[in-house]
Amino acid sequence: MNKRELLSTFGAVVAAGLLAVPVTAFAQSQKEMVAVVKIAGIPWFNAVEKGIKKGGQDFGMNASMVGPANVDPAQQVKLLEDLIAKKVAVIGLVPLDVKVTEPVLKRAQAAGIPVITHEGPEQEGRTWNVELIDSKKFGEEQMKRLAQEMGEEGEYVVYVGTLTTPLHNKWADAAIAYQKEHYPKMKLVTDRFPGADEIDTSYRTTLDVIKAYPNLKGILGFGSNGPIGAGNAVREKRLGRKIAVVGTVLPSQAKPLIMDGTIREGFLWNPTDAGYAMVAVAKLVSDGKEIKDGVEIPGLGKAEVDVAGRQIKVDKIMRINKDTVDGLIAQGL
Amino acid sequence: MIDALRRFSHSHEARLLAVVLTLGAVLTTATPSFLTLQNLFDLLTSYAFLGILAAGLLVVLVAGGIDISFTATASVAQYLALSFAKAYGLGWAETFGLAIGTGIACGLLNAWLIESLRISSIIVTIATLNIFYGLLVFVTGGQYIYALPDWFSKGIWWFEFVDADQIPYGVNLQILLLLLAFTATWVLLNRTTIGRQIYALGGNRDAAGRLGFHVFGLNLFVYGYMGFMAGIASLAQAQLAQSVAPTVLVGRELDVLAAVVLGGASLNGGVGTVLGTVLGLALLAVMQNGLVLVGISSYWSQFFVGLVILVSVSSTSLTLRRRAGSAVA
Repeated sequence: MNKRELLSTFGAVVAAGLLAVPVTAFAQSQKEMVAVVKIAGIPWFNAVEKGIKKGGQDFGMNASMVGPANVDPAQQVKLLEDLIAKKVAVIGLVPLDVKVTEPVLKRAQAAGIPVITHEGPEQEGRTWNVELIDSKKFGEEQMKRLAQEMGEEGEYVVYVGTLTTPLHNKWADAAIAYQKEHYPKMKLVTDRFPGADEIDTSYRTTLDVIKAYPNLKGILGFGSNGPIGAGNAVREKRLGRKIAVVGTVLPSQAKPLIMDGTIREGFLWNPTDAGYAMVAVAKLVSDGKEIKDGVEIPGLGKAEVDVAGRQIKVDKIMRINKDTVDGLIAQGL
Repeated sequence: MIDALRRFSHSHEARLLAVVLTLGAVLTTATPSFLTLQNLFDLLTSYAFLGILAAGLLVVLVAGGIDISFTATASVAQYLALSFAKAYGLGWAETFGLAIGTGIACGLLNAWLIESLRISSIIVTIATLNIFYGLLVFVTGGQYIYALPDWFSKGIWWFEFVDADQIPYGVNLQILLLLLAFTATWVLLNRTTIGRQIYALGGNRDAAGRLGFHVFGLNLFVYGYMGFMAGIASLAQAQLAQSVAPTVLVGRELDVLAAVVLGGASLNGGVGTVLGTVLGLALLAVMQNGLVLVGISSYWSQFFVGLVILVSVSSTSLTLRRRAGSAVA
């Protein structure tokens, strides 16, 4: 090998090396997905984050989660603006107020960034909304359970997070409508109460409700602290046999009340699966795969898809009772 | 005696008392479950957290300051105290000591920043609210504590009674702490030299300084007292909720401030009484409670709460203006 050949070989190696660097760098810089959630640092969204991280690993995306420090839709807008400026590949969103986040999502769409929402069936400007439960079915299942505990008759009340929290009220509407249709002997004694996001408030409301409606036999709580506050009050007044508490709860939080029978059964979807599903759908979208009814969401099974309504649903209602609670806590929920 | 009564009848407290009693009378005729011991005990229990904090905030307002950070202080105090209680098997005294100590430390820090840097207290405490809360959420990752020590979960339960429906009630930890907080604050403001100095400080800071009062020391005491109450309130709340959640207390500051100001304490300092604060809190509590008992739809409840506050505040200010008018004439 003469000098010239040596040089050209060397040059080729260097050139290949120069070329190779960006190529490998490109392979490593996976598509980035960032999900904006309602609030950072609470157990629920910590579990969602776990699912997002796992989805990122499984689907080869650089997936992460951010959220405001307080429950404040304006801060979500700011985080979303930052993501658009950063030109991430896909944006995820668990919206606080769908009206507030609508304009900024339209800007994301204009910039060619697809948006995957969760708990946002009414969010304008999304590409797809992913749910692990069907809102109507979720409300109905809990009503069925409450009716079973009440012997399908008697007075009950319903709690929601706030009177304007979209999902809670959808579940409540579905549950109440189902009761009217199937359990005519049951009666909702007054309009639904807000406060199911705070233990203190639902505790206080329950004390008042027990006095105002002495024949009360059931409390249905939508909002993860509602059944806890109600359960604490019912237990303190030793009315656990008379009044059945059913609703959405976190397993580790509800365990004592589930074990002593105050909360007859809790309902939820798995937040880790929810995070995972968001990334799975983000992957399908960013790969340009067609999403139609019956599409397989990797790791979660077949989905029910409403293409016109931009909804993807996987049926994953999680039941929390004496038999399942320990297993769910072991999963970190 | 008659003189004192006459003076009282012209005070803000008397007007507030009249509003509360009227509301109570209406509720008593509307529903038999309002005027019962069971309901009274339930109300005291539910509002203990806000009430204890209101007692602390009253002292700060009287001294001419304001504190916004106490909910964050309470969050830190309950988290710290109960994590240690769980980890090292502490008892009542140590747990309370830890919560109160944390509260006082946060309060002293506020006072030190306000006094040594001469920044307005609302700015300092908004900043420290975020610092305390931010640090807590960062360090704990927002994890709730569900499994509290058994003795703490059980709490205390004295003098148990049962009502006609065999539903039990009794004096519990919350009621006990609430009574202690109000009594201590009443004694402090009405029966001690420090209390008189606090009124003077809030009335006219410069004059108080020239009279030779130790303004810095008084402020340390006032904000420390607020922290002390935040520590106590935090454990009352944790015992009631049967869990510690770092994110639930912050955001309740305005409820407490509303109760104290409704009770006649001035945001300019120097004015405010324990009785007024109790009545301000009672008005808010009876209002919420009564609306549910009477069976008014929750869609209307905020409207009525706002209405009653407006009526009660404007009646006071109208009287004040009338009195000012007659003084000029």
